[in-house]
Amino acid sequence: MLLSLPALHLQTSEHHPLFQLPHGRLGPWCSPTGSPAPLSCETGCGEGTWILVCRLLVPTQVSLLSMEEDIDTRKINNSFLRDHSYATEDKTVKLWKVSERDKRPEGYNLKDEEGRLRDPATITTLRVPVLRPMDLMVEATPRRVFANAHTYHINSISVNSDYETYMSADDLRINLWNFEITNQSFNIVDIKPANMEELTEVITAAEFHPHHCNTFVYSSSKGTIRLCDMRASALCDRHTKFFEEPEDPSNRSFFSEIISSISDVKFSHSGRYIMTRDYLTVKVWDLNMENRPIETYQVHDYLRSKLCSLYENDCIFDKFECVWNGSDSVIMTGSYNNFFRMFDRNTKRDVTLEASRENSKPRAILKPRKVCVGGKRRKDEISVDSLDFSKKILHTAWHPSENIIAVAATNNLYIFQDKVN
Amino acid sequence: MYTRYMLGKGGKRKFDEHEDGLEGKIVSPSDGPSKVSYTLQRQTIFNISLMKLYNHRPLTEPSLQKTVLINNMLRRIQEELKQEGSLRPAFPASAPPAAAADPLGSSSREAPPAFSQPAPAPCELGGAAALEACLTPASLLEDDDPDTFCTSSPSAPARLAPPALLPPEKDSFSSALDEIEELCPTSTSTEAAEADGPKGDSSSGGPGAPQRPEGLQEGGRPEDPKLMDSLPGNFEITASTGFLTDLTLDDILFADIDTSMYDFDPCTSASGTASKMSPVSADDLLKTLAPYSSQPVAPSQPFKMDLTELDHIMEVLVGS
Repeated sequence: MLLSLPALHLQTSEHHPLFQLPHGRLGPWCSPTGSPAPLSCETGCGEGTWILVCRLLVPTQVSLLSMEEDIDTRKINNSFLRDHSYATEDKTVKLWKVSERDKRPEGYNLKDEEGRLRDPATITTLRVPVLRPMDLMVEATPRRVFANAHTYHINSISVNSDYETYMSADDLRINLWNFEITNQSFNIVDIKPANMEELTEVITAAEFHPHHCNTFVYSSSKGTIRLCDMRASALCDRHTKFFEEPEDPSNRSFFSEIISSISDVKFSHSGRYIMTRDYLTVKVWDLNMENRPIETYQVHDYLRSKLCSLYENDCIFDKFECVWNGSDSVIMTGSYNNFFRMFDRNTKRDVTLEASRENSKPRAILKPRKVCVGGKRRKDEISVDSLDFSKKILHTAWHPSENIIAVAATNNLYIFQDKVN
Repeated sequence: MYTRYMLGKGGKRKFDEHEDGLEGKIVSPSDGPSKVSYTLQRQTIFNISLMKLYNHRPLTEPSLQKTVLINNMLRRIQEELKQEGSLRPAFPASAPPAAAADPLGSSSREAPPAFSQPAPAPCELGGAAALEACLTPASLLEDDDPDTFCTSSPSAPARLAPPALLPPEKDSFSSALDEIEELCPTSTSTEAAEADGPKGDSSSGGPGAPQRPEGLQEGGRPEDPKLMDSLPGNFEITASTGFLTDLTLDDILFADIDTSMYDFDPCTSASGTASKMSPVSADDLLKTLAPYSSQPVAPSQPFKMDLTELDHIMEVLVGS
């Protein structure tokens, strides 16, 4: 269980918020195929398309890549990544190859050093161009564009365990793609009613099973999760399993439905459990038990009495992500005021930490935070009314095998790792 | 988020104080003395939901999930009201004829139908109907694109409904049309062709808008969240005019009908439709103010809408 973490804070130089919905998304950690080399985390983001790429072996190395047509790459110190990554732009999925370049050829015959063509009449000797080392440069090239298959905003992308297909989910449909075929996808889930007036539920997130390439889950705005098997039928409108927790009558309110809307669903690495995030809680479900979750963790229950205000200012619609650690023993999710929470499933302990510039000097140890829910406020506690609801941590990622986490807060990316004794 | 803290300053604080009295006191309607606070809370949430659907000026396309959740909220409240209405025969709800039963009974009219526009281009789902036997190429499902356009656009002009926002209403209308124009490039070519009709009209309606004084909008503000900031003002008005005593089913019905009057389907519009909305909306707004100000307001000029709707509105006015 991570209790004290040295902090590494990376900030982009852009002013617009990086990690805003619907485009912004952090992670997943991507690894070079088959390589045990240190991993990187990447994020697509808000306006325009930017991908933040950082290499974690030496955590100060970061590249910010702009995914505009004329790619403008920047680098901070040295960095590299050799991988593919994807970003969604509203209703289009793009596959990018991110690669590094640390050598360049010099000594062309027909071009001079600036690339201008030389007058052939002036060439009197020939030479063989040589590769010379250069400052490491990261560049991204679009490799595939998967367009025109979605009418609504894409909320999820999930790569299949076969690494040949992936799915993209929007509010009403889920489509299955092959990486090599960009002009056609197959619809595997469609919940659009014939009469849009009857629409009361939308798809909120979807993910493939980490090992079984025919199985996936998708969550809905009514707090339900459906597990589907693509072998059962071509259109998976009929689920194989249906997960829903019965409503707690003592907690009923006008906002029951809205706070039950699931914002994120994630399989555990083992594939035995799924974790869902709704507005106030994180729930762990066993795939073999559909009628209720096996664990429920309160993220910020003190907001339950503030739901009307949060409805009015739209915060109740914020979509928080959740994430497993590599061994599926700890789960993490974000909250407001730049807080994020970790829950140890074994010891049942939890911690609240803050990702902020003031608290995060490199190598500084994070101090656990506490929200005071009433009565006397102790020193260092924060009262619920002082929480800053514009500072929300929606996106987090956890390294698949190390205790390194990435936390996205508006315009800042924080990378934390476990204290090395 | 423009709301940084739970308890804001100034006008916002007032609203929150008023509202914080409602927070957490979620009581069942059967409790006697707290039934009032339950009703008040319900009405508050109902109004907030309406404002969200019709005042919101999204910088990006409105989220379908949010729209669905807000609609579900409105429907639930209306269901409750309907049940309560059926328990109390004294309510004038039963008085108006079939036209009034329409909002109560018909689900299509209840919640301000953010996406229940009669789709002009038929949703050609027949060809794309899900078949068990084979995979459906997603390209076939693109026939729904007209829905997208109709889905998102009605919420824009329907924004004309906001109660108690007389001066900025013109702004919201022109910006609503601007928004439709913005939506046009993202739609398919067929939608773009259809949108050219109202688009042409909106440009004529547009220039007139900025001249409107921004009365209720407290000083020149950046556009987006400030309609919500004017919300406290709206609630202050409702609270001060004996909100609870004026709370009859008619008010809610009335609000429904008002908003539905602005249901505006650019896909079907003849060229003149957009410009026709302008004169209608000013009067409609007066009528919208009626339930909140307790003053009978008669329309000063004939409305260009269905006769049945007009009949119903007249009956409700006369009835109250």
